[in-house]
Amino acid sequence: MTLRRIPMQYSMQSTSQLFSRGAHQALRVSLFGLALAAVTSTASAMSPGGDLVIEAGRIITQAGGEITDGVIVIRDGRIEAIGAADEVERPWDLNVVGGPEFTAYPGFVEAHTSGGMDRANESIDVAPFLNIRDSIDPVSFFFEDVLRNGITTLGVHQGNNCVIGARGMVVRPVGRTVEELMVIGEFGLKLSAAPKSGSSRATQAQALRVAFDDLKSYLEDSVGERRYDGDKAKREALYQGRELDEEESKGRAMGGTAWKVDGLELIPRGELDVKQRPLLELVEGNYAAFIYCGAPMDVHLALEIARDNGFLHRTTLVLDNSCWKAADIIAEAGVSVVLDSAMTHIERDPYTGKEIETVVPRVFADRGVRFALSSNNASSQSLWYQAALANGLGIERSAALDAVTVIPAEILGLGDRVGSLQVGFDGNVVLSSGDPLSTTSWVEAVVVEGEQVYDRKTDARNQHLFEGQTPPVGKQSSMSQGSTGNRR
Amino acid sequence: MRNGLGRALTAALALTALLAPLATAGEVVLRAGTVHAVDGSGPLKDGAVRIRDGVIVEVGANLVAPSGAKVIDYGPSAVIVPGFVAADSVYARGRASKRTAAPGLSALDGFDFYGQYSVALSHGVTAAYITPASGRLIAGQGAVVKLGGVDPGRRVLSSPATIHGSVRADARSVPGFWEPPIPPTVEEGLGYAKPQLPHSLMGAVLALEELMAGGEQALEAYGPRAASDLAALITGGTTWRLGANSVEEMRALLELSAQNGMPLVIDGGLEADVIAEELAAAGARVIFQVPFTANAPVRSWGQGEDSYWPNMSVPAELAKAGVDFAISHSGSTADLLFTARLAMRGGLDAEQALRAITLAPAEFLGAADRVGSLEPGKDADVLVMNGEPMAGGSVVATWLDGELAWSAQSSGGQSAGSDKASTKSSVVVIEVEELHIGNGQVLRPGAITLRDGQIVDVGSRVSRTAGAMVVRGFAATPGLIDAYGFLGLEGSKKSPAADFPMSRIVGPGDELDRRVALAGVTTVVLGPRGRGRAGLPMMPYKPAASSSARQVIADPITVRVDWTENNRLQSGQNVRGLLEKATKYVEGWAEYRRKLAEWEAAPKSESKAKSKDDEDEDEKDEDAEEDEKEEEKDTKKKKKKKGEEEPEPFPVTGIWEGMLVRPPFAEETSIRIQLINDAGEVEGSIRCSALSESLIQVTGRFADGELRISGLGSQGWVELIGTPKQGELEARVLVGESEIEFEAKRTRKDVPRASRPAASKLDEEADEPKGKPRSPKFDGKLEPFRRAMQGDGTIVVSVDREDEILACVDAFEAAGIRPVLYGADDLHYVADKVADRIAGVMLDYRIKIHDREKGLTFINRYAQIANAGIPIAFHSLAEEGAAELPTHAAYAVANGLSAKSALRALTSDVAAMFGMEDRVGLLQVGMDADVVLFDGPPLDPGSSVVHTWVNGEEISR
Repeated sequence: MTLRRIPMQYSMQSTSQLFSRGAHQALRVSLFGLALAAVTSTASAMSPGGDLVIEAGRIITQAGGEITDGVIVIRDGRIEAIGAADEVERPWDLNVVGGPEFTAYPGFVEAHTSGGMDRANESIDVAPFLNIRDSIDPVSFFFEDVLRNGITTLGVHQGNNCVIGARGMVVRPVGRTVEELMVIGEFGLKLSAAPKSGSSRATQAQALRVAFDDLKSYLEDSVGERRYDGDKAKREALYQGRELDEEESKGRAMGGTAWKVDGLELIPRGELDVKQRPLLELVEGNYAAFIYCGAPMDVHLALEIARDNGFLHRTTLVLDNSCWKAADIIAEAGVSVVLDSAMTHIERDPYTGKEIETVVPRVFADRGVRFALSSNNASSQSLWYQAALANGLGIERSAALDAVTVIPAEILGLGDRVGSLQVGFDGNVVLSSGDPLSTTSWVEAVVVEGEQVYDRKTDARNQHLFEGQTPPVGKQSSMSQGSTGNRR
Repeated sequence: MRNGLGRALTAALALTALLAPLATAGEVVLRAGTVHAVDGSGPLKDGAVRIRDGVIVEVGANLVAPSGAKVIDYGPSAVIVPGFVAADSVYARGRASKRTAAPGLSALDGFDFYGQYSVALSHGVTAAYITPASGRLIAGQGAVVKLGGVDPGRRVLSSPATIHGSVRADARSVPGFWEPPIPPTVEEGLGYAKPQLPHSLMGAVLALEELMAGGEQALEAYGPRAASDLAALITGGTTWRLGANSVEEMRALLELSAQNGMPLVIDGGLEADVIAEELAAAGARVIFQVPFTANAPVRSWGQGEDSYWPNMSVPAELAKAGVDFAISHSGSTADLLFTARLAMRGGLDAEQALRAITLAPAEFLGAADRVGSLEPGKDADVLVMNGEPMAGGSVVATWLDGELAWSAQSSGGQSAGSDKASTKSSVVVIEVEELHIGNGQVLRPGAITLRDGQIVDVGSRVSRTAGAMVVRGFAATPGLIDAYGFLGLEGSKKSPAADFPMSRIVGPGDELDRRVALAGVTTVVLGPRGRGRAGLPMMPYKPAASSSARQVIADPITVRVDWTENNRLQSGQNVRGLLEKATKYVEGWAEYRRKLAEWEAAPKSESKAKSKDDEDEDEKDEDAEEDEKEEEKDTKKKKKKKGEEEPEPFPVTGIWEGMLVRPPFAEETSIRIQLINDAGEVEGSIRCSALSESLIQVTGRFADGELRISGLGSQGWVELIGTPKQGELEARVLVGESEIEFEAKRTRKDVPRASRPAASKLDEEADEPKGKPRSPKFDGKLEPFRRAMQGDGTIVVSVDREDEILACVDAFEAAGIRPVLYGADDLHYVADKVADRIAGVMLDYRIKIHDREKGLTFINRYAQIANAGIPIAFHSLAEEGAAELPTHAAYAVANGLSAKSALRALTSDVAAMFGMEDRVGLLQVGMDADVVLFDGPPLDPGSSVVHTWVNGEEISR
């Protein structure tokens, strides 16, 4: 299965809104109805987002500048226009959210997290055939909390205790079902260069190398068999109930840059063992790879595996904070990294006994490595806090903000859709009462693809905790504002 | 074999900046008294090693250093050896693979090149063999790596170095191998753990043969990869390193090796001495794992008859038979040197032991082209030790790739090597052929350890801790003491009072003090010149001490008094008077103590009359008591009445309290006025927070019914004018520019004042004081006398004639003091009469005098008095002239004084005289580290001082 760009889900709209927009809207509704029928576990409907106008006293675009007293017009979930209030034409029929007292900025992007899942790690060492989608829990508090803190896109992956782990997905923290959450159904395969618990470093290295060796021998065996007209794979595929549709019934030659097995075009892709397919896609460069490194030596192993199997150009390293020592190698390999939530690394010089503290993001910034920050927890030390802390530790504000918006968007392959406020990008906007990196500013409203999905005034937990108010019984919670329930 | 990791390392491995290297632009030459190159030739005397770009260029004796080279001379007692190669270590060890044979597991994958191996480096281990695991038939591939080094690309010395395996019992009981099928099906289920072989030695040999043969059998039993990985290693000619301890295991391996032509190194070899000849004949190589684990609980080897008990003398036997062997210990890599010394039991010589931890493991494990000996072309991994490695020396500096990786000098830091090895190490070991303790005892040979300013170990041999600086000489003595000198007075001729603190005028040592110390005199008893009525203080201190911390020994330790007066008829009067005063002073204190003890022991109730003989008398007393009590009450009542009936003569006196409001503040604040009227003159105080933060002391007048008082407060001058009438005061107060009116009421008619408690009538009738007994005044001038009377010190008394000497000693004996006679010209005539009654004598500079009664004979006064059993002391009566004191002592020795007495006169006897024998004067554990090192017998005219230590710090020339 190749990686296709899955279009966005259609988000909630009230029926009255639909009818107020005229005939072409009705057409859209019917198309949407068709699309609804075609929803499967992997594909999803082609459906537009919402329409909204956002006003803010200050708009941080992350695309070159800030706009004072600006306006963003979102249509169908995409930004149609953005600029100063007197320059942008505001459609008279759209709802307006915000005001001059707010600051607007693009929704934060978390490139790698294991939150919101039932269980982060698996017992099986090499399990690329597993999928995060089976483990993710849309009603978990994790998603509610990240939305509260201004994160609108997350890359959810398996935990770090594996050899080769499951395929991840990119989600938005809005919705009640996995399909509603999904932005990209399958993105990125997780590997770990740090020893799985119970292994030593040497056995982990061997397990990683052997996994790819096994793939190679399996492919060679399959080709060899097919050449002698064997159809064992086909029978096994039928036995296991794998359907071979259009794409799957064709074979094609092996892609990839590192090593090739001749004759793979003889075998229909659908017949290949489902346990080996994801690794094959990885080697062919069709999947991104997220490799976890727990120590500087692991970085060497990770880069070796990626180079030897031809997916270095799609690799992102997920680093523990001691890995700053390998920053030179990382800079040379030209990969992006996701940094640990602990931003300083403290160790003791064995000779003098003095403690040495290193600010990890600075090491990478100095070498020109593109790094994304990850949140320490979903609520109080979320991405805004990490960016503010990085800024306080000496990273420039622009680099700190990039590390939570533009760079993780690139890592997730959504560099042209999220992470900044530009025409054509998704309408993911956060409205806050002050500067995003300030500890005294609140996230007042969050708009995801043109729909306002969070309003602090109706956030029951926030209001109860800080203002002492209990919202009236019966009123819907902020999460499902606008949901009518019968769309899904 | 895949060595991708090695490739990645050679590409670029950035080590952190924790090890900041020296910048070497050219060559480095290291010199030492002995160099062991371990290249077959023996030790080199006065050898040197020349290094360029991290590689050894030349090794030899009397090397000429090229110009521009950095030369570091570690001194004649230093020894240079190659960096140790640990034949086994735990640095890359992890969990073994599930399979019994996993030749694909690489040690380099498990080694942390970013780690800090400071413990190993500081103990001299510069390279180590690493293995990914142990406890399997074939555990993986071993490698040899450097534990530090500047160039990351050069840290892998040999990889793959060995096929690491074992046929010992630990490798023969591998648990079953279980791999769950994914997904499990109804037919197959989860499966079960398939048992893995081998379980016996025979099985192990068979297994190895199967693996080497390859084929279906190997595939089935050992997994899909074992045989192919192994084949790749074998074609590469990799050495097999197989563990074998017992004789059967070793024999089996020898046979296997002979049959299959596999290059073999036997690992363990605990019973190798039994088959030493067979091993020699087969040309086998053995890595002997010393059966001792340091820093670990005691191990029990077994109680059966044939249980193996550790036998350390295996290497000695192997050496005799001509087997090539290395020594190792997997448990604690850092203790490799100690392990090698253990293995010397049985007669192994030091050269071979050193080879067994340097060149032999390098050769066996394929690293001999880079490390293991000091030969041109090899890496410059050099150790500098403070003695022979196999004779207790420890590592002082570690050089890796020509850069100083560790040195013991700066607290564990890397200090750029100075041109001369500095002796500022905090631990100093002095080894001499004659160690003079100071009390006459001499250790031959002797050694002494100084640490943190104190002597911590004395003996014939002392341990050498890591990083200790070792100094060798001929003789060592305690620091010499000048019993009375002026060093520190700087020419002053003043005579201060007896309780003047002399420590105020001395400070840390300067150039002059150091020159005196370099002559051997480390302690000077400083006293002012002249005479003093009550005595002059004497304070022993160390002029050359670099800090004031332990410079002064006691201040003062005694006083010097003069018995002799200008008018000889009055000789002794002053001193007798002092002694009397001192005796009374001591008695007063003793009395006080007695009273205090009594008072504390007695019950606290009021004590009444003493006599308790008759009951009648008691009754009488009781009656008397009752009468007394009634009288008491009466007087009290009378007093009260008096107070009330008396007209008030002082309408102002008392405490007045009121409230006032000071604009612009709206709140009322209280004001309290306390006044005493003394015939019109009033004085007292006002407390009001609105007027002043502090108490205002006021004075003024009360006249014509008007009170005017004023005083200075924190906000300025305050004046109060008021009219007191019958307990009420209407007043106005002027402060600053405001005038405030208020009213106050008198709350008390008297003002409590602190005053001495007057003796009440009742006290007069008591026989004993009720309160605690008062202590007598402390008199600093008489304290030295008190201490001397208690035996805790002495008094120095200056006296010369025989009769006066006797009178003086008698007087002091009556007072209970053993004095030190100063001067005492005629002592030798009465020596036997006063021998037991004096603490010692300080004779003047005339050592040899002409005995007028016996013609042309000379008497050595010092010798004569020393022989009479009286302790003597040398004193200089000079400032820097104290440096000549040892020479005078040498003269005394050359003319008849015994060397033992002379040395005692300069050290322990002087210290004992003054009562400072707990700090100086002896070389014993716990004393101050004041040591003098001579190049010949001390106090021999031809000997000179080579080194001096004061408080553990060497005085530099």
